[in-house]
Amino acid sequence: MTAQALAQVLASGLLMGLIYALIAVGLSLIFGLMDVVNFAHGEFLMLAMYATFGLVVLTHLDPIVLMPVVVALLFVLGGCAYLGVVRFAMRAKANQGMVQIFATFGLAILLQGAAQYAFGTDYRNVPGSWLGGRTLDAGGVFLPWPQIFGAVVSLAAFGGLHLLMSRTDFGRALEATREDQGAVALVGIDRNRVFALGWGLGAALVGLAGAVLAVFYYIHPQVGASFALIAYVTVALGGFGSVGGALVAGIVVGLVEAFTAVILPPAMKSVGVYALYLAVVFVRPQGLFGRL
Amino acid sequence: MIRRREILTGGAGALALAGLGLGPARAAPSEVVVGVLYAMSGANAQVGVDARHAIETALDIVNNDHDLDLPNAKGTGLKGLGGAKIRLVFADHQSDPQKGRAEAERLITQDKVSAIVGCYQSAVSSTVSATCERYGVPFVCADSSSPSLHRKGLKFFFRPAAHDEMFSAAMFDFMDAMRNKGEKIDSVALFFEDTIFGVDSSTVQRKLAGERGYKVVSDIKYKTNSPSLTAEVQQIKTANADVLMPSSYTTDAILLTRTMAELGYKPKSIIAQASGFSEKATFDTVGDKLQGLISRASFSLDLAAKRPMIKTVNDMYKARAGRDLNDNTSRQFMALIVLADALDRAGSVEGPKIREALAATNIPGERTIMPWSKVAFGPDGQNVNADPVLLQYVGTSFVTVFPEAVAVSPAKWPMNA
Repeated sequence: MTAQALAQVLASGLLMGLIYALIAVGLSLIFGLMDVVNFAHGEFLMLAMYATFGLVVLTHLDPIVLMPVVVALLFVLGGCAYLGVVRFAMRAKANQGMVQIFATFGLAILLQGAAQYAFGTDYRNVPGSWLGGRTLDAGGVFLPWPQIFGAVVSLAAFGGLHLLMSRTDFGRALEATREDQGAVALVGIDRNRVFALGWGLGAALVGLAGAVLAVFYYIHPQVGASFALIAYVTVALGGFGSVGGALVAGIVVGLVEAFTAVILPPAMKSVGVYALYLAVVFVRPQGLFGRL
Repeated sequence: MIRRREILTGGAGALALAGLGLGPARAAPSEVVVGVLYAMSGANAQVGVDARHAIETALDIVNNDHDLDLPNAKGTGLKGLGGAKIRLVFADHQSDPQKGRAEAERLITQDKVSAIVGCYQSAVSSTVSATCERYGVPFVCADSSSPSLHRKGLKFFFRPAAHDEMFSAAMFDFMDAMRNKGEKIDSVALFFEDTIFGVDSSTVQRKLAGERGYKVVSDIKYKTNSPSLTAEVQQIKTANADVLMPSSYTTDAILLTRTMAELGYKPKSIIAQASGFSEKATFDTVGDKLQGLISRASFSLDLAAKRPMIKTVNDMYKARAGRDLNDNTSRQFMALIVLADALDRAGSVEGPKIREALAATNIPGERTIMPWSKVAFGPDGQNVNADPVLLQYVGTSFVTVFPEAVAVSPAKWPMNA
């Protein structure tokens, strides 16, 4: 393998990894907050992509300009998912974990079916973007601008999230609720409100990922499924609930996937990612940055 | 709904009456139930939606009176079954071989279908054909092209269209012809998805490349529906073969094309094993990057110039589906036409009788919408007369470029000079 080909695999893995991290962080955030795995996470991504597509068709504006609108829409969707579904699932007296899994899984199937009913089964494509189809040629290493943009947005989102969590009252309320749900109620924090906002924030982050992805990926009712699987392993590898872990694990997953496709037959490229995860489980079952 | 038992009782009565010389027509069933099994949800749902339109177009032609030179077009219903009409029962296999098997069983045991048509994905057709065999119900494989399907010794399996060995042979015949014209074609890159369709297709192509002196410089099996194909494309870019030969479903076809463009790779030429590369969605999304792509096909709209009924059928389909017939939908359409012809001749809704009639099928090519010489099945259930064509994507449509006897224009070669 030439040095140039190696650089290409490294760069492509890194760019995809940062996008994987952005897809996964919302999932990790929600889990960290309330120990619920959102199995409809991929469907949130899919809806964000359709929202981007729909808004571009309606307004003829660039998807980059429309990104805040998509993020806002997904924030509302996330809040509604908590208030309309998860809140009730959490009231189960027995097998609460299983009820939550099936509630969000049911939500996933419902959203997929609704999307197929509403948008049809055809593959959609955002009609035009300033970034679409542009590629940066860095000495024979090709970097697609939409992915570079996605990687930058991802890093910015992680930076913003860090500031939000550490410097704002809302962030501190999230952190406190995560530490001890019972104690926060005693100091006057409305647990339900924090959870709803947490779900909104998690969905808004995956909404951002969807808006980025819509520029260079096809849109289909099932599109979330393949990314969701990567998001789950990313969260598990980084450590459930760890925001920084999601960033590191996303990059690791992107790189391992890219290099596995070079070393092994590409059909087995996800084997590398899962092998790495299993290896981490032996040493740190809580994930790289997870808390015990 | 008429139950199978009633049909069988009726059939037995009819046979008894026939034996007495009193005529069979009175006890004929009023409808024949045919199962149609496709992915109606999931990543390949659009194929199922289009298949439904194609098969319903064929149903309209069989059940109602149409002035077309297709079997059972004139008059209503199936004359051999006393004018009985076909009723379709659709089922969804979600591209999953196990769901396909379960749905086939349900269609046979609960809906009492007389035959099943399907299933697009070769992996699903494989389990469905085995289930049909077990129940003695004919399976008309419309559009799965894996050669292994007709080599399992199944008695109830019938495929009117070509399989990938025939398609791939046509591709290599074309490359040989281009070589004879002085074009330099030394190497090929195989790029195929990891289910039975891609794997079988590549096996044939690898063998043909070896036999005919083409070097396989890249041989990549990739995971279908991958979120990214960058590392894979990097490898085919490095190999830079004279001809890239992909066997991909729609999602991967779109992603492959887009990734090649992102990595600044313009393959010298592409000859595709149709599938995703014959789907409208692919060309709507990335058609600008596929100018000059050559794909194998069972069907060409160009043939309408010689056989005007093709345009009529295409218009009927287009009114339903909002798109032209393509490689897949034309085969799905023909599957029901061929099955209806057999049902008509069988004069029965019983599996073994329909099987016998299917085995005796002999429809001349002019009475189809395909470039086939005829429809007649070998003992393995494969129609060996389903001559494929190669089409080239030019502007916004496909033109036939091979074989020369049916070509409407010479191929632009290489695709990207």
